[in-house]
Amino acid sequence: MADQLHKHEHLIARLFVLPALIGLLGFVLLPFALAVTLSLTNLRLGSPLPLEFLGVEQYRRIFTDYTFLRALRNTMLFALIIVPLQTGLALSLALLINQPLRGIVVFRTVFFMPVVFPLSLVSVVWVLLFAPGSAGLLNSLLEIVSFGAWQPKDFLHDTAWALPAITLTSVWQGVGFQMVILLAALQSIPEELYQAARIDGANRRQQFVFITLPQLRNALIFVVLVTTILAFRLFDQVQIMTQGGPQYATTTIMYEAVNAAFASQQVAKGAAMTVVFFVLVLLLTLLQRFLLRQERAVA
Amino acid sequence: MKRKSLLTTLLIYCTLVGLGLIFLVPILIMLSGSLKIDTRVLIEAGSLAGLVPEQPSLENYRDVSTRVPFIRYLVNSTLITSSIVLTGLLVNSLAGYAFARLQWPGRDALLFTVIALMIIPLEAIAVPLSYQVTLLGWRDTYLVQILPFVANAFSIYLFYSFFLDFPKELEEAARIDGAGPVRIFFSVVAPNAKPVFATVAILTFLTQWGSFLWPMMVTHSEAVRPLPLGIAAFYTLPPLQWGDIFAFGVMMIVPVLLLFMAFQRWFIRGVATTGVKG
Amino acid sequence: MLHSVIVIENTQKAAPIITAHLLILMLMLAGCDRDRSDHNGPEGAVTLKVWAHAGQQAEREVLQSQVARFDQRSDEIDVELTFIPERNYNALVQAAALAGDLPDVLEFDGPYLYNYIWQGHLLPLEDLLPTTLIDDLLPSVIRQGTYDQHLYAVGVFDSGLGLYARRSALEAVGARLPESAADAWSIGELNDVLSKLSLRDNDRAVLDLKLNYAGEWVSYGFSPVLQSAGADLIDRESYQASQDVLNNAAAVAALQHLQNWIMAGYVDPNIDDAAFVNGRVVLSWVGHWAYANYKQAWPDDLVVLPLPDFGLGSKTGQGSWHWGISQHSQQPRAAAAFIAFLLNTDEVLQMSNANGAVPATRTAVARSVNYREGGELHLFAEQLMQGVSVPRPRTPAYPVITTEFQKAFQQIRNGADVKQALDEAARRIDQDIRDNQGYRAVH
Repeated sequence: MADQLHKHEHLIARLFVLPALIGLLGFVLLPFALAVTLSLTNLRLGSPLPLEFLGVEQYRRIFTDYTFLRALRNTMLFALIIVPLQTGLALSLALLINQPLRGIVVFRTVFFMPVVFPLSLVSVVWVLLFAPGSAGLLNSLLEIVSFGAWQPKDFLHDTAWALPAITLTSVWQGVGFQMVILLAALQSIPEELYQAARIDGANRRQQFVFITLPQLRNALIFVVLVTTILAFRLFDQVQIMTQGGPQYATTTIMYEAVNAAFASQQVAKGAAMTVVFFVLVLLLTLLQRFLLRQERAVA
Repeated sequence: MKRKSLLTTLLIYCTLVGLGLIFLVPILIMLSGSLKIDTRVLIEAGSLAGLVPEQPSLENYRDVSTRVPFIRYLVNSTLITSSIVLTGLLVNSLAGYAFARLQWPGRDALLFTVIALMIIPLEAIAVPLSYQVTLLGWRDTYLVQILPFVANAFSIYLFYSFFLDFPKELEEAARIDGAGPVRIFFSVVAPNAKPVFATVAILTFLTQWGSFLWPMMVTHSEAVRPLPLGIAAFYTLPPLQWGDIFAFGVMMIVPVLLLFMAFQRWFIRGVATTGVKG
Repeated sequence: MLHSVIVIENTQKAAPIITAHLLILMLMLAGCDRDRSDHNGPEGAVTLKVWAHAGQQAEREVLQSQVARFDQRSDEIDVELTFIPERNYNALVQAAALAGDLPDVLEFDGPYLYNYIWQGHLLPLEDLLPTTLIDDLLPSVIRQGTYDQHLYAVGVFDSGLGLYARRSALEAVGARLPESAADAWSIGELNDVLSKLSLRDNDRAVLDLKLNYAGEWVSYGFSPVLQSAGADLIDRESYQASQDVLNNAAAVAALQHLQNWIMAGYVDPNIDDAAFVNGRVVLSWVGHWAYANYKQAWPDDLVVLPLPDFGLGSKTGQGSWHWGISQHSQQPRAAAAFIAFLLNTDEVLQMSNANGAVPATRTAVARSVNYREGGELHLFAEQLMQGVSVPRPRTPAYPVITTEFQKAFQQIRNGADVKQALDEAARRIDQDIRDNQGYRAVH
């Protein structure tokens, strides 16, 4: 009897998962497997030539290709900068918004607003903000703030500034999302914990370090994980704002992969880059999980 | 909480306003640009004074509606996005539930696969996927813009983490009343899981509303063209018509903003109960 | 989205709502498919599917009116016109070609054409178009449309590059005003003019290279520099190697000049695309399409000069949108009739007036106010008729060639070593050609 009940539950569970699995298999796993296969060939989009098996040649090429190595470096650098930056900013904003003040909801809305803007649109607007010389709002503002000491820059064509400019754009667009997650977590911390701490004589800083941060742990881990994955996918902003330049200072793995596959029609090369991307992010995610050893019981 | 001094309060407000400006200015630039003559947009972009259009006109909005069938695109985008959101909610919540609360052989291995699939972005599989749908004869339809995005690993993961911490008592009670998993899910679990449904709905909506690469690859007729592809009609040879582009941007974003304003409480409550669980 | 909110609030009622929504969706999908198969036009007429790029407003309007006129003239043919966004045109057409989904008639952007021919998607036009019409086409148009000894595509208009200048500024520094490509400035003369102009300028920037344009502009606008210097994007005899052609000493020296101008601050970044119109610069290196705006800004002061001579004579770009007929078209005759109609002198002139481009037939050039002999833009027509223009490489390898050259140019523009950037581009192009067995003919 119990056995049959179990069997029944197994069946139901499988039926529950089935539609999602069919979708994931058919529209993610299968094309990905196809990408892995294609990365071992010479496929060019629409080529009438017979397909040739090249083994790991495409991988050998991309790993000896200066541009791709640069893309790898940029992507990691971008993630390394934006993950702590955006998380830290999101946390500060969440703390700020968490004050019991009049009209605070307005600010919450304002900080979150950019999240609903498509990245393609956001990038176009920021190209204008970063315009060189006095035509650019950022340049003229910096000039005013520094009492004229600021030398106008062509941000998007300056090897030192282009990646930071893209980072700023991305933070502007994305930070509201993380802020909301952290805000929600802040609001779910039981007030009694703080009361108890105050009775024990803990000051504001101690309360933050010993209560707030540990209570936010899981939310922070979630935020870091999602931001990392999104950071590695960086594409839209690069495509619109810098096209990978100047001098490959902003090219990324996804940008190189999409460009190889679409602009140059070298599908096999693009596929190889995709596979490298996947392996890299997978390893990183595993590493993060391992390092943080997320204990879900804590919450 | 102890009362804050007036000075502290004032300081917090100043910070908030300053930060608020940083978040608003780019949006205002777009808004004011959409009301200017095309050539003025760039010339005036360098100063805050340029934020106020000298002679605001709705010319650009008129332009947009004569140049492209905006309503058609809007209907297409709405139809496609809402179909993905709705079917996605059903399909992914069921899967998330089965992963979190039901016992069945092979569950953990499959769960790991699903989590790994979360990493693969569309850009990475777009080319092979477009081969696939071409073979299926789905090009240039609504279907091809909907079906591939219904099942979503990230959504499953969000549902999964929510259901994992769902109070067991409710289910137990229903089970004692003789309810099977199907009834338990639809009449006990789902009604009490509104926040996660809201979160997934909004996240899916945001991603799909701005989707560009995929429709570009698999559609060509205006009958099924979504909004983001419509905006491409304005990226012609320079000089770009910035006014038109911004007007289109505003028209594209307003429905989303309205929805967001109306339902942000839901969203924030939703995130409160999902994200935290990680 | 509204539905989904309802779902959230009354989850018990979710299932029926979702079902209803799905039903509606399926009905719409079915309806939509039916819509499409019904598109057979009036009784007995064949439907001709035509894809065109969504260009400027005026261009699109003219094409729409042309389609209407054509429909009216012929009872048997009914044209169904679809505009495709210009920015993603090639990606979209390539995707459709893979799917065997090409329409009867479609446009191709310049040198992307050869890729489709190599893939076997296009029909030769010699036997489909009237000989008199072909003979009337500008030689540049024929050259652009020819691959493997067949004519596969014809344009209604062509293009060209020039150096727009303010006469007053040039006269102020005592510069010579060349009248045709034959007496273009030498590179030494241009360098001299630039430094003199720059001395008299507030921000030193006096030249506009349209650095604000991205993408194909780079190959279109600056490969003539290579050709004028004795280099090229690829070896034009065999189309098998860029090595020692794209990165030879002549190429390095020529592009070094451009880099020097940029580094010396002579070149305006032109983010607002108004450097010349607003008077920030007095020289602008750009195509025929800039004329209308420039003329409006400087009606009495504008002159159009040929590009400078880097050693082997001034060269210019050419090629624009070309019409071709799909291999799978069931009605190639009707398709050709449509293209021939677009090439009627009146139609050509209408399009030329709308987009300002050089008319593609000799007859139309002779009747065009701007382009005929003595017209203000005659230089452009002359360059196309006298072989001053060089088509971009006519090879299926073009997508790779242009991507690599663009990358190299962006590097150079930002101050990288010219030789290194070109070496890298040549290496990658050659590798692609080897990977594709030299793009040997398959069909």
